[in-house]
Formats: sequence, C-alpha cells, structure tokens
Amino acid sequence: MMQSSPLNLRRAIIWLGRLILGGIFIYAGYAKIFLPIMHPRPPIGVALAFFALQVGSYQLLPPAGVNFVAHTLPFAEIALGLLLILGWQLRLWATLSTLLILGLFGAVVHAYAAGMQINCGCFANPEPLTITTVIRDGLLAALALLMTIFAFVEARQSHPWSAPTTA
Amino acid sequence: MYSSRLSLSAVSGLAALVLLLIAPVFAAQNQPAATVPDVDPHVATGSKTAPITMEVFSDFQCPACKTLFMTTNRQVMDNYVSTGKVYLIHRDFPLPMHAHSQVAAQYSRAAAQIGKFEPVEQALFQNQEKWEQTGDVDGTVAAVLSSAEMVKVRAIVKAGTVNAAIQKDVALGHLYNVNQTPTTVFHSKGQTFPYSGVMSYEILRNFLDQLAAQK
Repeated sequence: MMQSSPLNLRRAIIWLGRLILGGIFIYAGYAKIFLPIMHPRPPIGVALAFFALQVGSYQLLPPAGVNFVAHTLPFAEIALGLLLILGWQLRLWATLSTLLILGLFGAVVHAYAAGMQINCGCFANPEPLTITTVIRDGLLAALALLMTIFAFVEARQSHPWSAPTTA
Repeated sequence: MYSSRLSLSAVSGLAALVLLLIAPVFAAQNQPAATVPDVDPHVATGSKTAPITMEVFSDFQCPACKTLFMTTNRQVMDNYVSTGKVYLIHRDFPLPMHAHSQVAAQYSRAAAQIGKFEPVEQALFQNQEKWEQTGDVDGTVAAVLSSAEMVKVRAIVKAGTVNAAIQKDVALGHLYNVNQTPTTVFHSKGQTFPYSGVMSYEILRNFLDQLAAQK
C-alpha cells in the first residue's frame, strides 16, 4: 500500500479546510442565533425570526420552508463546524458541509444573477449581496470540495504515523 | 503520535474559539445608536409610543419599493399600525441612478406639509411605470389633489424648503449604512435591525410578533 508523507499538499488543504470552514460555520451559526452585533442582544426567538426575513429575501422557499431553514440552519452550521474541527468521521461531515456550502452558493448566485437587491444573510449582519460575496462563497465552496475529495483520497492511503503493517 | 494529532485538533479548536470571540468586536463597529432621530410627523403613521418602529428608506422610482409598499406594508398598516403595535416612518432615499426620484420625493414632502402625504405616496407608487417614462411627477400628483392643494404643493417645491428634510433622511440612511432601497430599519427595546429588500408579509408578521413579545 502507498504511504504519503505527513506533510503534503493534500493534507495541508484538508487542515486548512477544516480550520477555515469549521471556524466560519461556527461563527455563522453563532452570529445568527445570538446576533453579537446588536446591543442589547435580542432573545434567540427574535434573532431567528430576523434571520427568517433574510432567508425569505432569496424568494426560493414558501413561508413554511423559510421558517424551517431559519430555525435549523444556524444549529446545523455550529454542529458541522465543530465536527469538521474535531475531524471525527471527516469524510461524512466534509461531504455534508460541501453539499450545504454548494446549496448556499447556488442561492447566492441565483440572487445575484436575478439582480436582487438583498443582504447576504451569511453572518446575520447587513452585508449587501455583491460580486464580492459571490466570489467569497465560490472560493469557500471550492475549498470545501477540495477538502472532501482529498479526505477520501487520503483515507485510501496508510497514515504515515500509523504502525507498519506486518505481512 | 496519536497525541500529536489530538493536540493539532485542540489547537484548531482553540483557533475557532478565538475567532468566535474576536469577530463580534469588529462586527459591532459602525452601529448607529438605537434611537429614532428627526421624525417628521407628516410622513409617519401610527402611535409614537408603539413598541416597534419601522423606518422605511424608500425611492419612489424603485420597483422593489413599489412592491413593498403595495403588498407587505399595506398589510402592516392594517394589522400592526392601526392596532398601535408599529410606528411606521417613511424616509426618502432617492437614488442618483433614478432620474425623477428626487423630484418625486420633493412633491411627496410638499404634499406631506399640507397633510396629503398618503394619497400622493399611493399615487406615485401606483403610477410609477407611467411617470418614470414621461417624468410627469407634477401631473401624477395633480391627479389626486385639488387645484388649491396643488398650488400650495408647487409653491413649496419651488421654494426648495423640502430639500433639507430629504437630505436629512439620506444622511440618516448613510448612518445606518443604507446603500439600496427599500431598506427597512426596525427598532424595538433599544435594538436596531436593518433589513434590505422586499419582505413577505407572512414572514414579517412572525418577526413583528416576536419583537412585540419581548419583555
């Protein structure tokens, strides 16, 4: 079986992906639930209802779907962020994270292409959806995709720190 | 070796925690005070003591502003403003990209000074497609006012006294980082929630109810 070196490009990208995407997911979820930019901070119910307005502005879901996404996405983001950073069952959580990021990226591209004058809603702050948002989300989606592919590739190779296998 | 991998995970966890802690500090900058300054009572509807205040930064020539006015805000007026739960304030934010929005804002402000803001606001939004082609704001306003009222409105517009009020609204919008219309700024219990774009009434209703239920 092939054995990769402890420090190669694939491993570096996996680490980078885990750190960056994990951190961003945790902060994005936390910001939506607790609205840290606001003083005094509102209760969670108000924060999630405000996030629902931002989800609704994309005009992709009916009101019931908007409320479901607004009340589950922030918690899913925190959970996925923590799991990515922990690295446990990485291939599973990396795949789910990539699907989520690709979904969010698709929504952002759709809104931008339709010329919708809305806020991104990414971090619960009043950030207008611009070409910068599209590029940023595209880069994050690319990083997530690479991280997931490399996680699968690396899993097929024996780890350099593992004990040598005896024939 | 396993402990090395574990410590790397711990370091990354710590980095995420640091990110969590410092990000709000940067994000909290440039937030305006959660008060509602310079309210012109002629362009505000409802009770000043309502638990929620909605400031709508609007441009009469912006199609999304028309949609917000014709759909969501009408239902807000019927169900929240009339019941004393929401104080609704119109803020002028004419965008430079729209050729006639500044003139429309001047006419609506002038109409407000003679107590005719609501019919003029409605006429301007309802007939937006017509006057944005012809530039005939005067004719659109004249259609819903009497001749005597129209004489007063034209005199106020000509005097230019309404421009200061419009500029005040624009300056306030910049304070809230408004850069597109419609932008609605909600105030409740000292909190400020800026939102850009059109809102569905069904979703807004839930947010307003949550705001009103705050203790």
